[in-house]
Amino acid sequence: MKVSGLLFAAGAIFFFAVAGAYWYIASEIVGTVALLLTGGLGALIGFYVLFTDGRIGRLPEDRPTAQISDADADYGFFSPHSWWPLPVAAGAAVTMLGMIFAVWLILAGALLLLFGVAGMIFEYHRPEYRTLGDTEPE
Amino acid sequence: MRYITGPGRVALGGVCQNADVTPVAGPLTDSLPALPRQERPNLTSIGTIVWLASELMFFAALFAMYFTLRAVNPDVWRAETELLNIPFAAANTTVLVLSSVTAQLGVFAAERGDAARMQRWFIITFLMGAFFIGGQAYEYALLVSEGLTMQSSAFGSAFFLTTGFHALHVTGGLVAFLFVLARAYLAPRFTHSVATSAVVTSYYWHFVDVVWIGLFAVIYLVK
Repeated sequence: MKVSGLLFAAGAIFFFAVAGAYWYIASEIVGTVALLLTGGLGALIGFYVLFTDGRIGRLPEDRPTAQISDADADYGFFSPHSWWPLPVAAGAAVTMLGMIFAVWLILAGALLLLFGVAGMIFEYHRPEYRTLGDTEPE
Repeated sequence: MRYITGPGRVALGGVCQNADVTPVAGPLTDSLPALPRQERPNLTSIGTIVWLASELMFFAALFAMYFTLRAVNPDVWRAETELLNIPFAAANTTVLVLSSVTAQLGVFAAERGDAARMQRWFIITFLMGAFFIGGQAYEYALLVSEGLTMQSSAFGSAFFLTTGFHALHVTGGLVAFLFVLARAYLAPRFTHSVATSAVVTSYYWHFVDVVWIGLFAVIYLVK
C-alpha cells in the first residue's frame, strides 16, 4: 500500500512540476490546466492510499516477515452470480445510442439504466437474503 | 473451517474491519488460536477514489475545451459573459457547498452507527442538491430567453456543456443519495455495507462540489 501510494504521489509531484515549467515557458492556460489536473489525479489517489495505509497499518504484503495465512482475511463481498450487470450495460449502451440518434432514446436508456442500477444495488437486500445476517455486500 | 460473523461493524473512513470474524467452535477448530486482527482497505472506497480520479480527467477535458474556445473567441466572451447573473449563481453555489457539510455530518453519524441521524442529514443534503439543480434550470431558462443557447455561440456551447455535464453529475449524486437512503431503510439493521455506501456517496458529493467551485470560479469570476 505504501509503495502504491508513493508511486501515485510521485506522479502528482512530477505533473505539478511539469505544469509549472509549462506555464513558465509557454504561458498558455489550456495545457497548464490539463497538466495541473493530471497532477490532481495522482494526488487524489496517492493521498487516499497513503492516508489509508497510515490508518490501518502495514498490510501483510508489505511486511517481509509476514506469513501467507496473515493475508487470509475477508476481502469483501463478491456476488457469486448476477444478471443485473446486463441491464446496466444495456441501459448505458442505449443512452449512448440516444445521444447519437434520437433524444427520446436517451430517456428510454436512462430508465433502463436506473432499473438495472436499482436491481444491482438491492439484489442482496431482498427479503430472501435477510436471513444471511452480516454476509452482505460491501 | 466455517465462520460466523459477529456484530456488524461500521466502515470508518476507508477502513473495513474484519476483526469480528470468529471461528465456530467444533472438534477441529477448538485447538486453533484466535484469528489475528487484520484490517484491509475497503475495496469499495479505494475503487471510488480511483474512479473519481478518472472523473477529474473528464472535467479536465471540459476545462481544456472551455479555455481553448475562450482563447480563440475573446470578443464573444467579452460580450456574452455580461449575461451571467453572478449573485444568483453565487447563492446557488453556497447552497451546494453547504450541502457538502451536511453530507459530511451524515457520514459522521453513519460512522457512529446512528442510522436515524444519517438519514436526516442525507435527506437535507438531497433537498439542497435538488435546490441547486432547480436553480441551474432556472438560470438556463433565463439565459435561453436572452438568446444564449448551445448552438448560438462558442460561449453558449462551452457554458452549457461544462455546467450541463456538472449538473448531470449532481443529478446522479441525488439518485445515489436516494439509493443510500433506501438501503438504510431496507437493511434489517445498520450494517457495514450501508455505512460504506454512505461514505463513498459522500466522497462523490464532495468531488462534485469541488469541481463546481472550480467551474464557478472559471466561468463566473475569471471570465
